[in-house]
Amino acid sequence: MALSSFFSSTRAVLSSAILLRVAFLLYGLAQDAFSPVKYTDIDYFVFTDAARSIARGQSPYARDTYRYTPLLAWLLYPTTWSGTWFSFGKVLFAVGDIVAGWMMYRILRTHQGLSQERALKYASIWLLNPMVATISTRGSSEGLLGVFVTALLWAALSRRIVLTGFFLGFAVHFKIYPFIYAASIVWWLDDKSNSSSSSSPISRTIKFLNAQRIGVALSSLLTFMGLNVVMYIAYGWPFLEHSYFYHLVRIDHRHNFSPYNTLLYMNSSPKASGVDHVSFLELERLAFIPQILLSAVIIPLVIAKKDLSSTMLAQTWAFVTFNKVCTSQYFLWYIMFLPYYLPDSVMMRSPRTGASLLVLWILGQAAWLQQGFQLEFNGESTFIPGLWISSILFFGINCTILGFVLRDIRTRGQSPLFGKRKR
Amino acid sequence: MKERITYIVQDPDAFSPEQLVVKGDSITLKKVQAAKEQRITVGLDELPTELRKSLEQWHELHIRWSSSIPYSASPPFTSRVTPGLHVFFTPLRDQPEGDLCNLLHLALGSELQCDSMSEASTKMPILSERFSMSASSQYYSYLDSLSNLVNFIQKRVCKSKACKESAEVLLSATYVDIDYDAISHAVVLSAFTATAPATGYWDETISVTSELQSTEVGVLTYEKNPDPEDIGFGGFLTVLGQDQAPKPTRFQTPTRHYPIPSDSANYKISFARPTGLHPTLSITFPSSHLTPPDSTCKLHTYLTLPSYLFVDKYQFNDALYLASNNLKSLRSIAGAADLEAPDWVTPEWGSAALFELAVPKSGDIEESSVEWNATIPLHLRYLPAADHSHTTVPAPWPVVFWACRAEEGTKMAVNPFDRLHLGYEALFGPRTRFMHISPIRSGGETDGLVEWIDVPVLDLKKSQWVEIGTIGTVIVAFIGLCWAMFGNAGGRKTNGGNAKEKKKQ
Repeated sequence: MALSSFFSSTRAVLSSAILLRVAFLLYGLAQDAFSPVKYTDIDYFVFTDAARSIARGQSPYARDTYRYTPLLAWLLYPTTWSGTWFSFGKVLFAVGDIVAGWMMYRILRTHQGLSQERALKYASIWLLNPMVATISTRGSSEGLLGVFVTALLWAALSRRIVLTGFFLGFAVHFKIYPFIYAASIVWWLDDKSNSSSSSSPISRTIKFLNAQRIGVALSSLLTFMGLNVVMYIAYGWPFLEHSYFYHLVRIDHRHNFSPYNTLLYMNSSPKASGVDHVSFLELERLAFIPQILLSAVIIPLVIAKKDLSSTMLAQTWAFVTFNKVCTSQYFLWYIMFLPYYLPDSVMMRSPRTGASLLVLWILGQAAWLQQGFQLEFNGESTFIPGLWISSILFFGINCTILGFVLRDIRTRGQSPLFGKRKR
Repeated sequence: MKERITYIVQDPDAFSPEQLVVKGDSITLKKVQAAKEQRITVGLDELPTELRKSLEQWHELHIRWSSSIPYSASPPFTSRVTPGLHVFFTPLRDQPEGDLCNLLHLALGSELQCDSMSEASTKMPILSERFSMSASSQYYSYLDSLSNLVNFIQKRVCKSKACKESAEVLLSATYVDIDYDAISHAVVLSAFTATAPATGYWDETISVTSELQSTEVGVLTYEKNPDPEDIGFGGFLTVLGQDQAPKPTRFQTPTRHYPIPSDSANYKISFARPTGLHPTLSITFPSSHLTPPDSTCKLHTYLTLPSYLFVDKYQFNDALYLASNNLKSLRSIAGAADLEAPDWVTPEWGSAALFELAVPKSGDIEESSVEWNATIPLHLRYLPAADHSHTTVPAPWPVVFWACRAEEGTKMAVNPFDRLHLGYEALFGPRTRFMHISPIRSGGETDGLVEWIDVPVLDLKKSQWVEIGTIGTVIVAFIGLCWAMFGNAGGRKTNGGNAKEKKKQ
C-alpha cells in the first residue's frame, strides 16, 4: 500500500513535514505582502518588536504586552537585521517543530518500542498536523516550547539527569506551566535496582531521596534560578513583573474557553448600584486548588510510575482544562503528548470511543466559537447563557476525555508498587 | 470685568446699519441674523474666594465644551472640537496638584468619571517642541449639556440678577471656552452661538451693567478678498457708554483656523453595524470635495476616545493595512493604551489619536463622484456587568481638518479671535494653518454629532446560576476525576473487560 510505504520511510515523513512548513511559510509571506489581513500572528510582531528594542539597547519590556522571557527576544535577534531576516523567527519555530517531531519519533522507537512505521504514524500527529504547522509558521512561540518539553521528556526517559533538570528549569523559565512535570519526573525516577523491603518511614524517605531525584532537583533549580538571576540583573523588575507576576495575578476578562471565565467577569466587575448581587464566597479565587492538586499532585503520584509520557499528557490536559484562562494555543501543550499515549490507548483499541471523543472535543469548541462570534462581531450579549454553557460543556468534555485517559493509564498493567499497595 | 460681544452677520446683503440703534448706554439689534460670540473677562479677585483658590492651584486651565448639535461655522469661528467636555491644564511647578476633579464635579456635574485628576488625566504628547503654548495634561468626558455649569455660576459666582440671566446664555451655546492662566490672573469665558435660538435672528438690547467695566459690541461681516494668509472683516464697533453711534470698521488678521474655500465640503461619521466588540468608525466624504486647498495641506482626523473605546496602535504599522482603510498614518496616540484591561480598571479618561487620512488621487475624483471612505478600526473594553444585556455608550464624532503650512505662524496670536488649546494644535508645528471640514448628519436622524454604541455586557438578571453552576461543575468534575484514579476500576466508564477484572479483585 502506498500509505504504508510512505509511513515506512523516515525520509518521506520528515521531508513532507518540512515541505508542509515551507509551503505554509511561503503562503504566509505572500498573504502578508498582498493582503491587509495578515497571516503572521500578532504575537510575532510583539516578539520582533521586543527584539528590536533589544537591538536598540533597550529592555524588551519596552514593548507593551511582551510577557515572555528576554531570551525569546534574544533568540529572535536576527529578525532585526533586514527584510527577509524578519521571517527568521518563523523558520526557527518551524525547525523547532520538526526537531520536536523527530524527537517524538525517537522516543516512540526507543522508549516505547514501536515499529518504525507505527512510530512514524504517531509522530505524524505532530509532524504532519496542519494546525501545528500553521501555529509555528504564523510565528507563535508554542512550537519552540514543543522542542523544550519533548527534549525534557527524552532526557528523563533516557535518565540523563543533569540534562533533565536543565530542560525542566529552562522550560519553566520559558513558560511557567512545565513546573507540573517536576512532580511526575521526580516521582517516576525510582531506583531501578528495587529491593523493596524497607518499611520504616525514615528508610523510605531516604530511599525516596535517591541520587537521581536530588540531581534533577538541583540541576533544574540551578538552571531556573540562574536564568532568573541573569535576566533580573539585565532587565530588573520589569522582567519579574511581566514574565511571572503578570501571569500569576492576571484575570483575563476577555472571553476564553475557561469554565471560570463568566464567573471572573461577573465577580471582578464593579457592582452597579441597585443591583443586588450576592457572591457568596468568591470561590473562583480558589480555582488553583483543584488545578494544582490534579495536575501537580494526584495525577503524578498515582500514574507517573506507570507511564511517564502519558502522565505528562494527563497532567497538561488537567492543567489547561482547569486553568482560569484558556485559549486554543494552550491545546497545543497537550497535543504534543498525544503520540506517546495513543498507541496503546482505549481510543485506538476502540476506534468508536476515540472518534466520539474527538468529535465531542471539536463540537465543544465549535459551539463556544459560535457563541464567541455572536458576541465579538454581532454584538449579542451571549455571556449568559451561551458562552457560559458552552464553556462548561467544553470543560465537561475535556474532563470526560481526561477521565478516559486516566483510567486507561491506571488499568494498563499494575506497577509493582501499586500492586502491592492494593493488596 | 470686561465684556466683548461679536456678531458675525450670516448674509451681508440682508444686513443694513439701520438694524443697529445706539441709545445712551445701550445698543439694540433688530432682527440681525448672525452668529454670536460673547466673551467675558473676569479678574481673579472678582471671583468668590473658594473658586479663586481652586484656580490659583494651576498654572493654566482651559475648558472646552462643545454641543453635539451640528452647526455651520462662520469665520473667524471655524475651529472645532469633538462634542463633550475637554479640560487641558498645566499644574504649577513644585506644588501638589489641586483637586480638579472636585472642582469639575462641583461646576460641571457629579456624573463625570474623575476620581483623582492625576490618574484620570493623560499627558499631552508634544510633537513640536518649540510649540510651548500647549498645556501638559488632558481630560475629556462626554457631556451633553452645561445646565450644571449654569446652576453653579448662578448660585456660586453671580452677585446680580443680570449676571444670573446672562448665565442662561450658556444653555443655548454651541461651544463654550473657559480659560485661566496664572500670568494674566484672569478668567475668560467665551460662549459661541452659531444661530440665534428659536427665531434664528437676534432681537435684543445690550446695556451696560454696574458690574462691567466696559462692554464692546461688534457687528461684523466676513470679507473674502484680503491676503491669502489673512481673513478680513468689515462692520461696526460700539463701546457702550462711550460711542454715540456704531463706528464703521474694517480690519484683517492672520488666523490659525482658516475658513475652507468650498463651503460644501463636509463629512459624516458612522459605524458599521453590528458594532460587536470591534466597532469600525467610518468617515465619509463626498469625494469631489477632497482636493487639498493647497499643495501643503494634509487631511487629518483627531479622535477623542473615551476609555471604553481604544485603537490598537500596533495595527497601524502595516502599509497595506493602512491603505485598505484609506489611512496614511497614525501620527500620534496618547492616553489609555492598555490593550487588555477592562474599562473598570482603566483610571484614565481615555485616549486621543491623530490620524492622517489618505485622499483620492486627482484622477480618481473625476471618474467617480461617489463617496470617499476612511475607516478606523476601534476596539471596546469590557464594561461592568449590569442588569441589562447591553450598555449604550456615546462615541462622539472626531474632528476632521486640513493641516497646511502657514507662512506667518507667530503672528496668529494677534488675531483677536484666536482660539488655542483644542488638543491637536500641539501635535503640529507653530506654522500650521487648520482648515476644518464641517460635520453633517445624514438626513432623518435626530441625534447630534455623536454615535451611540450598544456594548454587550454580562446580564446579571440571568446570572443567578452562574456561580453555583460553575463551582458545582468544577467540584463534580474534580470528584469524577479522582474517582477515575482512585475508585474501582469498574466505575462509570467501564468496559466489559474491566468489570470482570473488578470482580476478580
